[in-house]
Amino acid sequence: MNMHAPITAAHPLTRTEVAGLVSLAARTVPPMWPLESAIAVNPLAGFEDRPFNDAVAAAAQRFGARSSLPLVSWRALQAEGRLDERSLRDAAIAHLGGTYCAWANVAPGVTKLDLLLARLSDIAPTDAPERPARLSPAAAFLAKWCGAFFDHGVAGLAMPHRELGLYRAVLALADHDPEFAALTGDEGRLLLMTVPRDPQEAIAEALAEQGEGWNDDHVALLAGLVARLPGWAGHIRWRSEHADADLVAGAPADMADLIALWLLLVRAGAADITPPVVPQNSAAEALADHFAITPATLDTRRRAHFDAIAGMDEGDLGAIFMQAAEWHHANTLVPQLQAAVRTAADRESWTNAQLVFCIDVRSEPFRRALEAQGPYQTLGYAGFFGLPMALHPHDGERRKRLLPVLLGPQHDLAESAKPGHEDEAQALTDTVVRRAEGAALFAAAKSGSSTAFATAEATGPFAALSLAARTLAPRLSDRARKAREARRAEALHPAVDGCAGHDGFSLAEKIGYAAALFRLTGLRADTARLVVLTGHGGSAVNNPYAAALDCGACGGHAGGANARVLAAMLNDGAVREGLAGEGLTIPEDTLFLAAEHNTTTDEVTIFDRAQVPPSHRAELARLEADLAAAGKANRETRAVKLGRTADDLLTGASHWGEVRPEWGLANNASFVVGPRWLTRAADLDGRSFLHSYDWQQDESGAALATILTAPMVVAQWINCQYLFSTVDNQRYGAGDKVTQNVVGGIGVVQGNGGDLKVGLPRQSLFTDDGRPYHTPQRLLTVVLAPFERVEAIIAANDILDRLFGNGWVQLVVIDPETGKARRWRQAASPMPEGASPNAISC
Amino acid sequence: MDKTIPLPLSRLVTAALWLGLAALALILAAAQTALSGMQGLIGLLTLFIGAIVATFSQRFMRGDAQRERFFGLLGLLVAAVLVLTLAGNVVVFALGWVASGLLLARLIGHVRGWDEAEAAAARTRHAFLIGDSAVLAGLAILALGTGSTSLATILSSVGILPQPLLVVAALLLLTGAAARCALPPFSGWLMTSMTAPTPVSALMHAGLVNAGGFLLLRFAPLFEAAPAARLAAIAVGLLAALWGLGIMAVRSDVKRALAGSTVSQMGFMIMSCGLGAYAAALWHIVAHGLFKAWLFLGAGSAVGMRGTAPRAALGAGTVALIGAGALVVGAALAFGSAGIGGELVPLVLAGATAAMMLAAVPATRVSLASRVTLIVAVAALIAVNLLGFVFAGSLVGFEGPAVLSPAATLALLLPFLGLWLWQARLGEGARPINPALYVRLLNAGDATRAPSALQSDFQQGAVK
Repeated sequence: MNMHAPITAAHPLTRTEVAGLVSLAARTVPPMWPLESAIAVNPLAGFEDRPFNDAVAAAAQRFGARSSLPLVSWRALQAEGRLDERSLRDAAIAHLGGTYCAWANVAPGVTKLDLLLARLSDIAPTDAPERPARLSPAAAFLAKWCGAFFDHGVAGLAMPHRELGLYRAVLALADHDPEFAALTGDEGRLLLMTVPRDPQEAIAEALAEQGEGWNDDHVALLAGLVARLPGWAGHIRWRSEHADADLVAGAPADMADLIALWLLLVRAGAADITPPVVPQNSAAEALADHFAITPATLDTRRRAHFDAIAGMDEGDLGAIFMQAAEWHHANTLVPQLQAAVRTAADRESWTNAQLVFCIDVRSEPFRRALEAQGPYQTLGYAGFFGLPMALHPHDGERRKRLLPVLLGPQHDLAESAKPGHEDEAQALTDTVVRRAEGAALFAAAKSGSSTAFATAEATGPFAALSLAARTLAPRLSDRARKAREARRAEALHPAVDGCAGHDGFSLAEKIGYAAALFRLTGLRADTARLVVLTGHGGSAVNNPYAAALDCGACGGHAGGANARVLAAMLNDGAVREGLAGEGLTIPEDTLFLAAEHNTTTDEVTIFDRAQVPPSHRAELARLEADLAAAGKANRETRAVKLGRTADDLLTGASHWGEVRPEWGLANNASFVVGPRWLTRAADLDGRSFLHSYDWQQDESGAALATILTAPMVVAQWINCQYLFSTVDNQRYGAGDKVTQNVVGGIGVVQGNGGDLKVGLPRQSLFTDDGRPYHTPQRLLTVVLAPFERVEAIIAANDILDRLFGNGWVQLVVIDPETGKARRWRQAASPMPEGASPNAISC
Repeated sequence: MDKTIPLPLSRLVTAALWLGLAALALILAAAQTALSGMQGLIGLLTLFIGAIVATFSQRFMRGDAQRERFFGLLGLLVAAVLVLTLAGNVVVFALGWVASGLLLARLIGHVRGWDEAEAAAARTRHAFLIGDSAVLAGLAILALGTGSTSLATILSSVGILPQPLLVVAALLLLTGAAARCALPPFSGWLMTSMTAPTPVSALMHAGLVNAGGFLLLRFAPLFEAAPAARLAAIAVGLLAALWGLGIMAVRSDVKRALAGSTVSQMGFMIMSCGLGAYAAALWHIVAHGLFKAWLFLGAGSAVGMRGTAPRAALGAGTVALIGAGALVVGAALAFGSAGIGGELVPLVLAGATAAMMLAAVPATRVSLASRVTLIVAVAALIAVNLLGFVFAGSLVGFEGPAVLSPAATLALLLPFLGLWLWQARLGEGARPINPALYVRLLNAGDATRAPSALQSDFQQGAVK
């Protein structure tokens, strides 16, 4: 067969058809945000239309990934008490299809369940320990060019021809690349001359040619190619779908470019199209030995039972463990919440102040610690405080999108000088610009051929001072930066009313955003004298994953700015009037304040303190004292989990060698929608997202629908990112931090290069001795609302039907009147209704 | 796992390194020592970087599966470098030299079960096998020829060896230095060494690769007696200095851009050694080591997108002006009565750097006060650099005998200044870099090729 026949009679696809195929194939990977504003995404987002277990298996196949933690890790987690014997047994029975099937006899005195439990708990794992696979030469070739093409200003010399787009730029350079010649030989050189210059036409030509062994399912074929470099492919999706246009101008690329390059290599014989096959070992021998069974002597039915259990791989067994961990968590959590409903827990008990925190799991222990200090009411609300805004920094840097990535910015605000602080603001900005200019000068000097050498020499002694200071006195050396940030917060603020070319908010919009706080959280209009909107951010130095510790709802940034904007709106007399018009009459003496919770150090900064009127100063002082005490207490608790001293957490936050400043959202497990009294008595151990909600104030269910379709979806992305990054840290995670190499300013690769790493690094998920700190389990959503309301909302929202129905999120609804709990049944659940031995007791 | 080890090596090694640093500083301060000032300075540098890296790693390597092994190897590596630095005996020197190379290769392959790390370690071992064999052969010639294993005796009596043997010995040592310094054609091992944990890279670029320069400085009397080897050092150094800059310029990943820069800096330093610019070379070893360790440990800060490549600090016109000025000053120094020989190249380039910085500051878009701040900062940098140079000169003497004529020395400035002008023109967007050259530079820093010690960065054809 002539590989290079011009387009033949087999009618090639049109460009539109190719574009359709490409966009379907692209969905196999999720968009990946650059690390400067890292956003948690579900690496299996493209598989969410399938039931969870099917999706995991399909993705494992496509990405060459594990589908579960190794069995040894699960056993270790069980030994630590992250799941109990009973839950495991129940999950095993459920897997076997219920009690009847589980007790099927395989040999005298040995049931099918015995076999399965032995495989889960006793028999040595069969799967070989994984090795990080080396990229194929073809993948390494493409990764090399992606690394050069997608650079954001790191290399002094940009890749030539970038303006032509990824595909054409690589075509133009491949001719000069001996690696291309080595990979593809004469075929490649010939193809390079003849292949269409338009990526879509090139794809059409390749598909029309239909090489041997090609799949007729073109989408699957192309998706398989996309999945070979999921990191770079995800970056391409971010560029085409989410990036600000000015940022990616000059280097256009979409998925068609990457696919066309893959197909070029395939046609040239440098890459094959068949996915890798994962070898499976059978546990039959070990299982037979364990029970002294001779499988050959079993009758057909028993033999089938035996083979079914012996043939299960680690993925199947891991799924049972995961289910057990989920049930264990649910069985611990839900009864406590039910008890709160039934005992009509003390529902209103605040006098000092009310504080609204982000729903983030890290808020929960801090809220509990603060509540222990005095009569405070705390609430949970999405950390961007409902404001879809972008902020233009005063120093002229690019705008920051301070909102969930599912939304587009509706308001562009300028960070501007606070009245009376103009000079200070100017001085600060001048400092920032001076540092940037100094850095640019340094960069130019150290790469200039006449200046590089003296620059290194002159900098050396200062580098020695910096090395010593940052290593031996990290807190001292970080002090200047902290002071600058504090001065910045003092002198600058996000200007609510917009300025110079940016839209602010209209009065109606302000009233709308202000009212949403009450509507969604159930916060009542008779507020305390102080209401503090508390955003959050982490602190980490020299850490590529610093943004992953910030607020996900604020697009991977700290949430203080959003809190300040909403607080300013709520203190606005005109807004208060408007709210009163909607029935929300806020007491005159209520003052809204903005604050930011540093989740690494547990320090809380209150913004604009100087503007607090004398009437509220005493309360503020008491609040600050209590916040400090709560911070100290929470730091102690967290220090134990990190295996360090509380004081060392403060050092780690400033230390340039610290790889785990905090645990982030590790071990997240549930999302509770209800008033604080529901959870207040329970120690949720920092595992729960808490969104405040009052079913009585939401007759229409609109607020609940918003909570479930927006914040809960973000929580699910986070949950799935942590889950899969733990399950296979090489494929779905970012691997070990110690060998990471930042590339292009956008992300990291491992070692010398290769695919852009997705997900979270090992240190964020595993303890120092290699045990998983994060328990990989699916999110459990608990809602306190009438059943019918929840059912109606799910029926009306496809995304919820998909997430709950396919088992990506487990849902439990607690009836507010009776305290009865019901579990939402998965569409494809193998269990007959009501037969679950594990159904939550009602 | 490592819990069975009774002694926490991590703590022990870190403490030992800080104590060692203090002890060596005290010994040197007491000045009653047979060590030359150069040996002492390099020893202090090695211990300082080692101690900083170990302290940094207390946190950075906290989750490493082979944490104790890592610290053990780190301690041994620093010890090996110290042995070769402080050795007065050629056998001890050789032991330290070979051991440090082998230990480094182990640390490059530190991550178990990772093909790429194993390949990088193997590549390093291959490169060092060639380099170290050359060093051993060279040392053997010297020891046998002079009939002594004492370095002092050997170096004071190299004159008794016949010239061809001297040249062979010097070229062998130069080969070893080139392998350790990752000069082409040995750059591959360094460019693929990013499989090493970040702190290892910091130590490697600050305290290991520059052992090649130390070797040339330590054996300066030998090279002075074998001018042909010095010419070779100048040639290979010049080539590496320019080639490494090219590698750095095209890399988008921070660590390999730093590695490209190291190739270039080591080339410049070896060239300085060849020229007899000992003070400049020694100061370069120390200051560049600190500089590169600092950049490597801070490599996690490189996240952040810029829309475009960093703009050129100066226009081509200004660069041309500074370049011309540098040549005039250089000519005055070379042919004038000052009698500056080999130091001419580093000194004139340092002057050009100072001029560039001072010329660039007024062009920044900052307030007057900020410009003053920047000028003060630049002035401080220049002053510190001068002081360092003078200090190094006080330890090794300023110059060896000139090997090139004044005109030839002056001509050495041309490639540096010419390339600088070209860079400035590229920065102005005059036209893009030649694609073929770009691909070569990119592949020179690329790891996908099969490991081979001698695979030349210039012979890309032999890939498969």
